[in-house]
Amino acid sequence: MSVPAEVSLQKIKAELPLALAYANSAGLVVDTTKLTSEDLRFFVAFKNSIGEESYVEFDCREYPMHPPTVEFVNKDRTERGLKQLYPRGFHETPCICMRYNRKAYGERGGPHKDWRLLDWQLPTANGVAIDTLTLMISDLNSKIRASTGRMA
Amino acid sequence: MSNIQAQEANNNAAHPDKDKTVRLRVQTPRGLWSMTEPAEAPTRPLYKQSTKIEQVIEDAREVFRFVEQDSKYTLWRGDENLEPQRTIVSYKIEDDTLLVLSVQGGNA
Repeated sequence: MSVPAEVSLQKIKAELPLALAYANSAGLVVDTTKLTSEDLRFFVAFKNSIGEESYVEFDCREYPMHPPTVEFVNKDRTERGLKQLYPRGFHETPCICMRYNRKAYGERGGPHKDWRLLDWQLPTANGVAIDTLTLMISDLNSKIRASTGRMA
Repeated sequence: MSNIQAQEANNNAAHPDKDKTVRLRVQTPRGLWSMTEPAEAPTRPLYKQSTKIEQVIEDAREVFRFVEQDSKYTLWRGDENLEPQRTIVSYKIEDDTLLVLSVQGGNA
């Protein structure tokens, strides 16, 4: 079973106004210029505690049935998933090890063999369920802001 | 006198306007909290200057039902992380200042 790209695009567009308002308020830059049903990706630029920028790609294929693939990329988006692109403090795989990241799941080669993709909107422990794009941005911003330097 | 009490005493002396009120705007991941939004909010972000930041965080959580205790909630003004135990007046926050509630989920 898969989600038609148009359905994913409409869901993303429905969430974007709040995501953009939140990101703008937090001083983050969101790039949705290439977002189409053929390319369901958008990008957010974050800053760590010493002002170093990190760039994150949200690949929303099959969203919202499945979570996006959330990955650190370089500024021109020609490299992705390398340790030197990750802020310190993230899983050493390297991976954003959260239910909202498809890469974290065992069935996608990630460290969590105990999670099912269909359950991605569940909370972890007694934390807030990170079940919207805005909450994903908030969670990442909180972690990156607390970080200094790169993983490698 | 504890450090916090000493700080509050200094604040009171340095900020005679501490009993004046201030209207805030708080952007959260579930929406904006302001004097008009959301329409059904049980409280509004109108505070005495002597109010501690932790109260603003608590109220914003209540309005948007962030009830989970294992998450990390912090309040920001731009790049400045506002310390929960400090007062609004100690940051010289003015009317209609936009603050941001940061919500971090539980770690895997």
